[in-house]
Amino acid sequence: MRSNHITQYLVSRVRICYHDDGDFFDGNEGHQTILKERTGLKVTFKDVTLSYDGKIDTLKHLNFEIPDGSLVSLLGPSGGGKTTTLNLISGLLPATSGHIYFGDEDVTKKDALARKVGMVFQNYSLYPHLSVRDNIAFPLKMQHVSRKERYAKAEELAKLVHVDDQLDKKPGELSGGQQQRVAIARALAKSPSLLLLDEPLSNLDARLRIEMRQEIRRIQRETGVTTIFVTHDQDEALHISDNIMVLSFGKIQQFSAPDDLYERPSNLFVAKFIGEPVINTLPAETLKADLQGHVPDEIFAKAVTAGLRSEALVPFDNGQGILTTFHATLAYKQKYGREATAALNYNGQTLLSTEMAGLPADQKEGDFFITKAGFFLFDEAGALIFGGEAHDQ
Amino acid sequence: MAKKLSKVIIYVLLSVGAITMLVPFIWMVSTSLKTGPETIKVPPIWIPKVLQWGNYIKAWNAAPFAQYFINSVVVTVVTTVGQLFTSILAAFAFSRLQFYGKNLLFMIFLGTMMIPGEMLIIPNFVTLSKLGMIDHYAALIVPWLASFFTVFTLRQTFQATPDQIYYAAKIDGASDWKYLWTVLVPMSKSTITAVTVLAVIGSWNSFMWPLIATNSENMRTLPVGLQAFTTDSGTTYELLMAASTFVIIPMVILYMFLQKYIIAGISKAGLKG
Ligand SMILES: Nc1ncnc2c1ncn2[C@@H]1O[C@H](COP(=O)(O)OP(=O)(O)O)[C@@H](O)[C@H]1O
Ligand SMILES: [Mg+2]
Repeated sequence: MRSNHITQYLVSRVRICYHDDGDFFDGNEGHQTILKERTGLKVTFKDVTLSYDGKIDTLKHLNFEIPDGSLVSLLGPSGGGKTTTLNLISGLLPATSGHIYFGDEDVTKKDALARKVGMVFQNYSLYPHLSVRDNIAFPLKMQHVSRKERYAKAEELAKLVHVDDQLDKKPGELSGGQQQRVAIARALAKSPSLLLLDEPLSNLDARLRIEMRQEIRRIQRETGVTTIFVTHDQDEALHISDNIMVLSFGKIQQFSAPDDLYERPSNLFVAKFIGEPVINTLPAETLKADLQGHVPDEIFAKAVTAGLRSEALVPFDNGQGILTTFHATLAYKQKYGREATAALNYNGQTLLSTEMAGLPADQKEGDFFITKAGFFLFDEAGALIFGGEAHDQ
Repeated sequence: MAKKLSKVIIYVLLSVGAITMLVPFIWMVSTSLKTGPETIKVPPIWIPKVLQWGNYIKAWNAAPFAQYFINSVVVTVVTTVGQLFTSILAAFAFSRLQFYGKNLLFMIFLGTMMIPGEMLIIPNFVTLSKLGMIDHYAALIVPWLASFFTVFTLRQTFQATPDQIYYAAKIDGASDWKYLWTVLVPMSKSTITAVTVLAVIGSWNSFMWPLIATNSENMRTLPVGLQAFTTDSGTTYELLMAASTFVIIPMVILYMFLQKYIIAGISKAGLKG
């Protein structure tokens, strides 16, 4: 009787949260029966290297700390080592060298069974012979939770991820998106302290994807479970994460807050990887005359590449913190609703700007401004040597 | 036109196949209902004038068939269950575990499949008689508790199961043992059904080994018991065929029962996406 009442209550709660912006938090403890209050785990990598074949290091000397209760995205191009990193955390892969800690405990030598994380695999990996209900309840069955209890929990979780009308179906009868949601429910079933998600939303359509990422964010906040979310979609990472780790070529390119990633990329790779449209890059030498006196000479001497965000090229000085001015010809202008992109020809280079909406339609050339925000200089190794300081505007 | 023709050819071939399989069976049933003289009549008759149902009672009483039946059931069930159990474990080890000498061992076992079964009869007999097992159930069961054919077939299926499923089970808290019995075995239902049917039929129909390994009447199995109708003075075909019919019927029923599972197993297997 009572559990039935709770279930109904939960349904209404879940629906309410769902239309909320994912920022739902009112101190009411009723719905928390689904997701037992848990504190997350801190995950630390100390000089972790992984080699699949003993010759090439797929991951090279990773050092990082993921604070407990946070949601961190692993972002990077395909083949960058995201899944490998996740498998090292879950214990499915043993580290070739280095140490991994959960909290203060060294778990380097422990296997997946002992580490007890929750995980959603890139290809869902549902058990094809089990119904959705049994798939979600499987981790609880392994913990010898009674049938009645684990089915009750499976149904609650199914509601949470909106597959409660599919409980009796086999995974083979579900769409990709439904399978993915079942996989998320299964990973949450044992209320893990650490939740690993390997591109969990990659097979959903755009709308569901946004809903699900808010859902994941909400669940994460409510449970406090430390969550590591792998994605190759920067937009997804920027929206969901407390911190983002950019992984490429088996190395951490940058590990910082989402805004920092965009405003202070630590190297050329990150600057190019983050941001839409892609940052304008040109040899620093081309800007020499216009930067004279605005960038310290000793820094400019080391600069090899300049990076200019498309919104850093503006037609007017509205006090947004101008670095310098430059003269360019307008190659073309395109308007999309309120936005307009323009291509500027500057010293033989083409620069894209998204800020040229206010220009007269027939203007062919002019003096433009480069704002301090969104202007970067990188040295020969690609490291940031200028730009990215905190700006008031 | 060509499509129609090929369809006709397929049906003709299938019919020929089906008839070839069915004729001996029908002949057996028909003979079991004849009188003695009718069995050797030329040209042969297919439907006896009067159906001799009494042949079945006579055949059943001609030898201790109830005892044979029990023996056959015990031997078949224990052999099949035992063989499946050892084979599933071995197949799992060969497909998933890493151990020293795995590939060499597998090669050696594979080599044993080349040895014809008849060659093993004498060594097996010598071994079992040294162990004092001859003329006991043990003699009929122990040599068949392992079958590399079954191991090999299961290993192929186990190996085709995606690694990710194994990893997911690990993450979900399943040990190797639990993964094997709660995930891998149910997922391999169709193959397991197929090897089970083969093991049951092989065990139920085996003749040579039970004949050699047992001496006493009460240890005989059904196929061996069929000898009762062949004596120095000739063979009473109508009784032999009646007995053959009731020996075979459990297999026919078993097949009809499991057929459903085989088809269901095959059509349901496989991951989507
Ligand atoms: N099981 C494996 N054996 C050997 N190499 C692998 C294996 N898995 C991945 N790799 C290699 O490791 C690199 C990183 O892969 P992965 O971690 O899957 O990248 P991501 O998830 O970021 O796309 C790739 O170059 C890939 O080819
Ligand atoms: Mg991957």
